Amino acid sequence: MPLVLERISVEKKGNVVQDLPKRLTLNNPILHKLLICLLVIVDAYLGLIYGVGIIRWSNLFRNDIALLLLAGEMFIGGMLFLRLILSQAQGIIRTVALVMIPLLVIVIGLIIVEVLLTGLGRVATINLNLSAIGLSGLYWAAVYLTIGIGLTLTYKVQGFANFAQAEMMLIGSYVALIMMWSDKFSFLSEAPTDGVLNWELLLWSSIFAFVIAGLAGYLIDRLVYRKLRNRNATFQVMMIASLGVSMVVRALLFVRFSANNFRFVPDKDWRLTTSVIETPTQTLQIHLGDRLSGGFIETVQNVAPFGFSFSKVTLVVGVIACLVFVLGILYKTRLGRQMRAVGDNPGLAASSGINLEGIYGKTSFLSAGTAGLGGAFLAAILPINPMLGLALLLPAFAVIVLGTIGSIAGVIFGALIVGLLRALSEPLLIGVGNSLDRPTASGFAEVVPFVFLVGLLLLAPRGIGAALQEWNIKRIRKRVTAGRTKYLFRPSIPSLRNNLDRLGLVQIQYVFTYVSKVRTVIWFLLDRITYSLSWIPTGVGFSLQFARTGIQAGIRFVFRISRFKWNIDPETQKGSWILFIVLMVILICIVWLLPSVTALTKTMQIARIATLLGIFGLASFALNLHTGITGMTNFGVIFFIGIGAVTVGILCAPIATNGYGWSPLAATLVAVTVSAIAGWLLAYPTARLRMDYFAIVTISLGEMLRISLQAEPLLRAGTVTSAIGISQYSMPLEKWWSSGPSSYVGNLLGLPVPAPYVVLLAGIAITSLVGVWLLLDTVLSSPWGRILRSIREDEVVSQHHGHNILIQKAASLALGAAIAALAGALWAWLNTNIWPDFMNPVRTTFLIWAAYIVGGRGNNKGMIVGAFVIVIVEFLFNILVASRGATSMPLHGVTNYADSIFSWLMVNVGGLIWSSKSLTEIFPRGEILLSLPHVKLALVGLVIIIALIAASKGLLPEVPSRPNRIKKTEK
Amino acid sequence: MSISKRFLGLLALVIMAISMLGCLGGSETVKIGMLSPQTGPIAQYAPGFEDAAKIAIADLNAAHEGDFEFELIMMDTGCDGTQAATSAQTLVDSGVSAIVGAACSGATLGAIAVAAPAGVPMVSYASTSPAVTTAEDNGHLFRVVPSDAQQAVALTTVASAAGVSKPAVLYMTNDYGAGLGDNFASNWSGEVCTSVGYDPAEGRYDATTLAQSVIDGGCDSVLLMSYATDGAAIMEALSAQGFDGSVFGADGVADATFTDSFTDASAVDGLIATRPRPGEDSSAKGDFEAAYAAAGGADGAIYTGETYDAVSIIGAAIAGKGDGSIIDSLKSVGVNYVGASGTHTFDASGDVLGTGYEVCQFAGNDFSCPRTWTADEGLSGN
Repeated sequence: MPLVLERISVEKKGNVVQDLPKRLTLNNPILHKLLICLLVIVDAYLGLIYGVGIIRWSNLFRNDIALLLLAGEMFIGGMLFLRLILSQAQGIIRTVALVMIPLLVIVIGLIIVEVLLTGLGRVATINLNLSAIGLSGLYWAAVYLTIGIGLTLTYKVQGFANFAQAEMMLIGSYVALIMMWSDKFSFLSEAPTDGVLNWELLLWSSIFAFVIAGLAGYLIDRLVYRKLRNRNATFQVMMIASLGVSMVVRALLFVRFSANNFRFVPDKDWRLTTSVIETPTQTLQIHLGDRLSGGFIETVQNVAPFGFSFSKVTLVVGVIACLVFVLGILYKTRLGRQMRAVGDNPGLAASSGINLEGIYGKTSFLSAGTAGLGGAFLAAILPINPMLGLALLLPAFAVIVLGTIGSIAGVIFGALIVGLLRALSEPLLIGVGNSLDRPTASGFAEVVPFVFLVGLLLLAPRGIGAALQEWNIKRIRKRVTAGRTKYLFRPSIPSLRNNLDRLGLVQIQYVFTYVSKVRTVIWFLLDRITYSLSWIPTGVGFSLQFARTGIQAGIRFVFRISRFKWNIDPETQKGSWILFIVLMVILICIVWLLPSVTALTKTMQIARIATLLGIFGLASFALNLHTGITGMTNFGVIFFIGIGAVTVGILCAPIATNGYGWSPLAATLVAVTVSAIAGWLLAYPTARLRMDYFAIVTISLGEMLRISLQAEPLLRAGTVTSAIGISQYSMPLEKWWSSGPSSYVGNLLGLPVPAPYVVLLAGIAITSLVGVWLLLDTVLSSPWGRILRSIREDEVVSQHHGHNILIQKAASLALGAAIAALAGALWAWLNTNIWPDFMNPVRTTFLIWAAYIVGGRGNNKGMIVGAFVIVIVEFLFNILVASRGATSMPLHGVTNYADSIFSWLMVNVGGLIWSSKSLTEIFPRGEILLSLPHVKLALVGLVIIIALIAASKGLLPEVPSRPNRIKKTEK
Repeated sequence: MSISKRFLGLLALVIMAISMLGCLGGSETVKIGMLSPQTGPIAQYAPGFEDAAKIAIADLNAAHEGDFEFELIMMDTGCDGTQAATSAQTLVDSGVSAIVGAACSGATLGAIAVAAPAGVPMVSYASTSPAVTTAEDNGHLFRVVPSDAQQAVALTTVASAAGVSKPAVLYMTNDYGAGLGDNFASNWSGEVCTSVGYDPAEGRYDATTLAQSVIDGGCDSVLLMSYATDGAAIMEALSAQGFDGSVFGADGVADATFTDSFTDASAVDGLIATRPRPGEDSSAKGDFEAAYAAAGGADGAIYTGETYDAVSIIGAAIAGKGDGSIIDSLKSVGVNYVGASGTHTFDASGDVLGTGYEVCQFAGNDFSCPRTWTADEGLSGN
């Protein structure tokens, strides 16, 4: 639908030249926009250079913040200007302009910095080493492509964003490590340097990495995704399932390989500091803020050549080879044609005789395999640990979104642009950051792809690849109409053969025939192999069947009690309430039974659980409003939570330590408002986006805020030295609490000391939770709630009914953001300080998603139960973890038993595959212990997967707000 | 060499066996909690912390055989305040007498919000943020790592003694690296060539770009506030780009085992690094390092000596508290306490001032610490 709308708007704006005189009047909307643009830019300019203008006169903001706002104002002006140009450009110019956007945005950035520095009277020197930037850009592009190729392939054929792709890459890396430690090859990595590069281990590792990672991908596809496909799962469900899979795989890698860094050394000679290709280079020096003494740009003499290490060359070459391989399969083989057909229209493909499941399986194998291959090469460069995948996944997503999801040509473009952008932005940020007293500015190099992505999606909502494709289609269309139907870049083999025939080169024709025969045989063999391997999932499936039956029986038992004994259906109001109360009673009983040593610690424990329930419950409400009710896949709840926490922290910190000294109540109101505004504004660039684009934009927003917390001094408070972190902020009602009520409540609870502050906080949290719950239920049962649900079900129909989708989505985002900010404020008070790592997506976003999935999408009661389950699971599991250390603890024997099973698996079962060296490297002390915190991670992942497969609606499904139709009651 | 290692290993086993036998007698079981970043951004350093703590527990059990049986309950912090606090709650619920940890400053501050109201003291082994000093801990929070400010002064003196004039400062954007980097920049009187912060998680920084920024800036030396893995990567990249200036590091890299983090160990040559000075004529440091190596402790570890000391101080405080409070006992134990990572004396806010730093260097792969630096005397030795 958006596509059609855009077409129309483009056509409306056509014929610019013809009616130019008419357009140059004051009523012309374009002229208006241009004027607004210029006004914004001039205002910002005046503010930066002369200290006048709207922001300066308002006197609301202090030094750095005022400058930041002015710079932001100028940036917005520049972006508006770009957008205006783009909206007027057409055809090839538009395409060129789109591809050039990165450069234009950087130019705008440089102009802003120039103005900023001139105003401050400072200078910045930026050193741009051309070879270093070009080759580093290539290196980053290759790194992102290791994940990106497979990601795009799965996307193209299976239609969902596979989070587990990063873990497939890691599997490849660890296969390379296992190979290195194997008895056959271990001498290679230990042998002293001899000046000769040994290829053997690298070659074998990459082959094994490809096959094993591919098989892992295939296996996961059979075990998880196929089951979901059989249930007609939506894109969103598949994506969440892949999130669960990635958690499980990462946890297993942690358990097997520990969190330590390991280096893959194919042969010492690969990793010597002298093993570099020296490339001649040129350094450009850009001077900013200094227009009097020197030029803008100058070259530096006597620059040492840039050394590009051998291992990076292998990665780049390997990834390119991999890309060619994938492209070859996709466009030159029958399998590729089938894959593309399935990607375009599965139903049609199936009806023309393509075995869908077979194609899905092969795609999984291929995409995981390419990731694994890249992982093996990457391991030769970076120290490998299981967290590496997550660090690379988000930029890889930026790459595929930039290059239009699902377009292989686009992904190459995307990777090159993101890689170069990253390599270029680092020296720029270092130079600028140093002159602005922000040496940590280079930390933002990591988020530049995201910033760029958000900016680009504002300008071109469907990515660069779509622009290229559109241009290509137009080009081909033109050619077709001109009567020439031959494609330029797709010489089909028969036509080539005919040409050769005409030239009389019969011998070469034989070669061609031979090659195509060999190709057929190879593909036949591969086909057989993948087919014959399909017994593996059957075997594993059988053993899992047993476990699953047990789980299902348990779930059915719970439902049976509620359904038959009291004759209750959880999808009716009454049934939902009863089930909710039953579940809550069970959970509260569990809390009551959790062990603790004294009355004081038990009180603190219950208060902490209640506060966490409040925080996670509120966060789940926000997620439910965005995703469950309005249908926008939001992976950025933590972004809004973060805004809430940081605003409250900064505003309430003492003025002496870089804070503002506000009262907590006022600060909370401001935090909620700021977050709501951010949510509302977010709707503008994202409301038109496809669901998956929205998910990726929101997840990168959270990441941006996390990195800003690390890098930006304005977001630090609580110490005199502006150290990282926010602390020392005042808490709500803290003084009132300690002045009397704490002793009173302490007495009431029978504590020897006054009740700790967390008891009050628990009260505040539960009150907020219930308050927001009532508010949401009221709002959502109003007509507005029905509009939001209608948007979720079918946006176009809702639009036809006269609802302004943008405004409705913005309102939903704003309300959810405000709720999340309240959760953030509570979180800040519970933690008493804020650090960048508190926004770690593994600890926050994914847990909230787990609560949402387990609880029941679209049902706020479900959100409370889901949040409660997630909080309790942590406490329950902690008992097990703690038991390992103390013989007197109840589960000490269980941990010992788990350790011995794990040890048996590692030594006796795994030992059949890997060498003993690969165990002593991980467990140097000889005792093979199961890492319980990572088992917990795996459990959370498993809960997500099982919930999606077994009870896809969650514990408390959404209650339809309309009476059941007759057809349904007949059932 | 291997014989002595084996001997020490046997000794440790015998000691453990004896202590096990000891617990059959009526000794008092004491639980000590430990918060370790087993998941999260610095998870790769958790094994080192835990190995060091286990050695300390074994030593404590050997020393107090028959009187006390110490148990270590290890919990994960995820380097995050919320999870650390939940883990601290579990530790408090299990009845620990004291908590060792946490490593990340955010985790320490999150956990103390639970531990302090419950009356359980905490001794951190790696939290260097100044925010730890000012935390509202009601006197419950101690740490055995000195604040970064002093080490930055030591580094400044060492760098200017080496005659460098245009140093580049490369530091991690976590509380440890950023604290050191900021303090160095404010103490350094001359020109700072370029100053760059980076995220030390693998895949988030590019060592080559960092090295290139040093070379393009025309810097004559590098101040490297890093951990072992990223520090080695940056030094290898510097060496690959032909950088021949001097490199200075802090306690994250000042250890003989730093060479293990390199593939090409020749790149470490010439590194000068500071670290907290051990007690004057104490064998504590050497003993601990031998035990750590004998137990097969994790490579490339950081703050192992501090972890050992934190556990040992807690153990000594519990053993010596009698009927008094554990906080008072900790304060009295923490006066001129000679540990593996230096001589510790707690001040009023639970911080240690440290007894100066030793200045170590790598000549080839040989590691030695010929010089010392103290706040009063400055640099001494050759």
